Amino acid sequence: MTTESAPTTPESAPQAAPQKSARALARARRRHSAARFWREFRTHRAGLFGLAALVVIALVAVFAPLLVGSDAQSVTDAPGKPMESPSGEFPLGTDQFGRDLLGLLVYGARMSLTVGLLAAVLSVTIGTLVGITAGHFKGWYSTVIMRVTDWFLVMPTLVLAIALAAVLSGSIWTIILAIGVTTWPTTARLVRAQTLAVESRPYIERAQALGGGHGHIMSRHVLPNVMPLVLAQTTLVISSAILTEATLAFLGLGDPTGVSWGGLLQDAREAGAVSAGDWWYLAPPGLAIAVVALAFTLCGRAVESVLNPRLGVSR
Amino acid sequence: MDTQDQHGRTRSHRSHPTSQSTSQPTHEVPPKSPPRRRLLLAAGAAAGALALTAGLASPLNPAPQQAEAKADGKKTLTVAVAQSVDSLSPFLAQRLLSTSIIRLTNEYLTNYDAKDNHAIPGFATKWEPSADKLTWTYTIRDNSKWSDGKKATAEDAAWTFNKLMSKEGTATANSGFVANFKKVTAPSPTKLVVELKKPQATMAALDVPIVPKHVWEKVGDISKYNNDESFPIVGNGPFVLTDYKTDQYVKLKANKDFWRGAPKFDELVFKTYKDQDAAVAALKKGEVSFVAGQPALTPAQASELKGTENVKVNEGPGRRFFALATNPGAQTRDREKFGDGHKALLDKKVRQALFLSVDREALVDKVFQGQAVEGEGYIPPRFSEYAWKPSADQKLSYDPKKAAQLLDEAGYKKNGDGKRVGKDGKPLDFRILCHATDPNDKAVGKYLKEWWGDLGIGLKVNCLDDVSVPWYAGEYDLAFDGWSVNPDPDFVLGIHSCAALPVKAKESAATDNFICDKKYDELYNKQLAEYDPAKRAETVKEMQSWLYDSGYMNILAYPNAVEAYRTDQIKSITTMPTAAGNIYGQDGYWSWWSAVPADGKSSSKDGSSTGVIIGIAAAAVVLVGGGVLFALRRRSTAEDRE
Repeated sequence: MTTESAPTTPESAPQAAPQKSARALARARRRHSAARFWREFRTHRAGLFGLAALVVIALVAVFAPLLVGSDAQSVTDAPGKPMESPSGEFPLGTDQFGRDLLGLLVYGARMSLTVGLLAAVLSVTIGTLVGITAGHFKGWYSTVIMRVTDWFLVMPTLVLAIALAAVLSGSIWTIILAIGVTTWPTTARLVRAQTLAVESRPYIERAQALGGGHGHIMSRHVLPNVMPLVLAQTTLVISSAILTEATLAFLGLGDPTGVSWGGLLQDAREAGAVSAGDWWYLAPPGLAIAVVALAFTLCGRAVESVLNPRLGVSR
Repeated sequence: MDTQDQHGRTRSHRSHPTSQSTSQPTHEVPPKSPPRRRLLLAAGAAAGALALTAGLASPLNPAPQQAEAKADGKKTLTVAVAQSVDSLSPFLAQRLLSTSIIRLTNEYLTNYDAKDNHAIPGFATKWEPSADKLTWTYTIRDNSKWSDGKKATAEDAAWTFNKLMSKEGTATANSGFVANFKKVTAPSPTKLVVELKKPQATMAALDVPIVPKHVWEKVGDISKYNNDESFPIVGNGPFVLTDYKTDQYVKLKANKDFWRGAPKFDELVFKTYKDQDAAVAALKKGEVSFVAGQPALTPAQASELKGTENVKVNEGPGRRFFALATNPGAQTRDREKFGDGHKALLDKKVRQALFLSVDREALVDKVFQGQAVEGEGYIPPRFSEYAWKPSADQKLSYDPKKAAQLLDEAGYKKNGDGKRVGKDGKPLDFRILCHATDPNDKAVGKYLKEWWGDLGIGLKVNCLDDVSVPWYAGEYDLAFDGWSVNPDPDFVLGIHSCAALPVKAKESAATDNFICDKKYDELYNKQLAEYDPAKRAETVKEMQSWLYDSGYMNILAYPNAVEAYRTDQIKSITTMPTAAGNIYGQDGYWSWWSAVPADGKSSSKDGSSTGVIIGIAAAAVVLVGGGVLFALRRRSTAEDRE
């Protein structure tokens, strides 16, 4: 997942034959660093466990129509009776519309993963942009933008996201936007700190002396150096984004016609499954959320310790 | 009047429990440890969460003893309600809860019989019209006293009606009843005379709480006074309001001097439970004696409670209809158009096609799981006098083929992608306003989306906590709608008359759905002036027939009232109608006035609370997961800071 941007220090580049083209050299270097990354990553057993879980869940989500049929979400063609308990036909029972809960759980993975990934990308993109520019420009710009960041940092994320999701209409894009624009401050602070560290190195000064502009410095020198941090941060943000998505959906702020894990919990509550003690309706979506969030966290931690040299030393 | 409460726009907003927050502060993790150990720790915590779940799911020790008669021997009846009080002022209250409470504290001129809803003496013992039908004389009872000791007389009633007719009174909830009044006087303490401009059929069903003149005279502007400043509140009903805390409780004590006889319970408490599941759990534990069926208990909750010892589930035909309202083009009283309703809905064929493609039987079967009656006419069958059914050839039953044909005729043909497109090339895409707090709205929305999707019509379900803003602004195509109907149908019929339209665009008004039609208005005025019940009912049925054909209001179902109470706390309670009816939200004070306390020796233990435990467990898994995640993240960021 991180082949492209793994940082490569000059020493680690292979001493290739001089006649090879620059592009071939770059490709070889990347291949090499990807292999090195994978070697390192393999040593993290928890990370591997997380990765395996993610691959399985992603496959299930992608092939959902093949696994449980394409009409699992349809209420009009629901196969069962309302609120059936688990049976051979419906391993997890049925919901209040008579739909197979296992099918819904599988489809829910799609929504949760999509929202989690997109929201995390949005959040980290905003955070990176803000962080790099704030670290690079310094002065009043940095002061102003970091105060804005601080303001967002102290705002309770959930409340802000709820307010946003309530104001905008209920769709998955609203949820993605609400999570994306409320969770970026941590990334921004991290990236800014790293940017400051990178920019204090002498080669940045040299690049400037050679005529490198702001854009060049930020995109060619700073960005590649903060990328490992950003990547690790992304994997970690995903799991919190998935949790936030579930929370928002549970609070009834999701897309009312879509199926997501948080939405399933909300449906269960509205159907009175809690009073009736229908654990097969409540427990699976909750467990699924926990497992995916955990898997992303394990993966993220492993990636982080591989990519971050300071963390790597202790191993 | 307690009809408005049910209307979507003024319905109480249930807030949601906020569990599962992702930002659980965690602390107990040491700041520095090698990554692998941390990961193991995380895995351990996750396993712990699972173990916790397992532990919780096992049967708990016997549940705590239920509440019963207090030490001082006072018998208290606690009712769990989901709604909030909008106002305690008899002039302003509109929601079902508030109007039900005011029913208990203030007398109305007449009351409805619990058996068959006919008007019976309340504050008035007798009422009769003059020969020209324009003057009504009420004889006021002389044995009703205000709770501060003063006698309640015709003077109080006259003052109440005059206040409603005054300028400030027109801004209040019950002013509709007096729109037609010319003069109200009290020639003697036991005689009230009302002079009318035109005959009015609702004179024996004036749902206006009478207030004590000597107290309310001192109030400045009644359109702004919520009557929640000094307790107890002076009243003359079977109960006296003694205390109120917003969204927590309303306390009432029995009025021992009530002329019809004192209530059997000493105290009545309406306790707010925003979450119906929590209310059900409280009932199972005996913390509350009654769970109000508004919203109705879900089938799962009802069947669980049916199996619980000492709990009786009461299911009766509801007073309410659940409908799809179609925006007919919002307009003001001066026919000035506003809002952005879909133009295609101005075509009757399109509206009827939408009607034809809704399988109401399936909705009753699946969404309500039998806890409702299939919708037909506007007035629920419970009010048999006025209820109307379409004839076989008038009925628009589920027929998607015919719907498709109607749409083709209206000029909305399917294009290559299977979408219906108008002559202007615009696809037929509708928005539907739904109440985020009502599970039924969302559930029916899912069905509509599929049924209409098959026809090539797009639907966007727009669920909001407060639908009143787009509704008043006319910015909707379709909307979920619902009203409680009173024994006298005048109110729910009046909300579709032209007179109910707003004066200014986007202003709040009595209108339900911006319907304004000459024929309907003629019929409305005809029924209002008709004193002969049979003839009036005939006209009312004609109006419903018109409403049905217009396709403006698609009555989907009449949801049953499903509520439950503890038989070891309440020995008996009157339903309305007595044979099979509801308890909470009656058109009268019968239920709470008649409720008889049980002996007080409660024998039962709590049934299984596995459901709750599992709910908690599921939440715990998520929370612990979130906590672990957060802990890891916190540490990760701590180390990355430079």
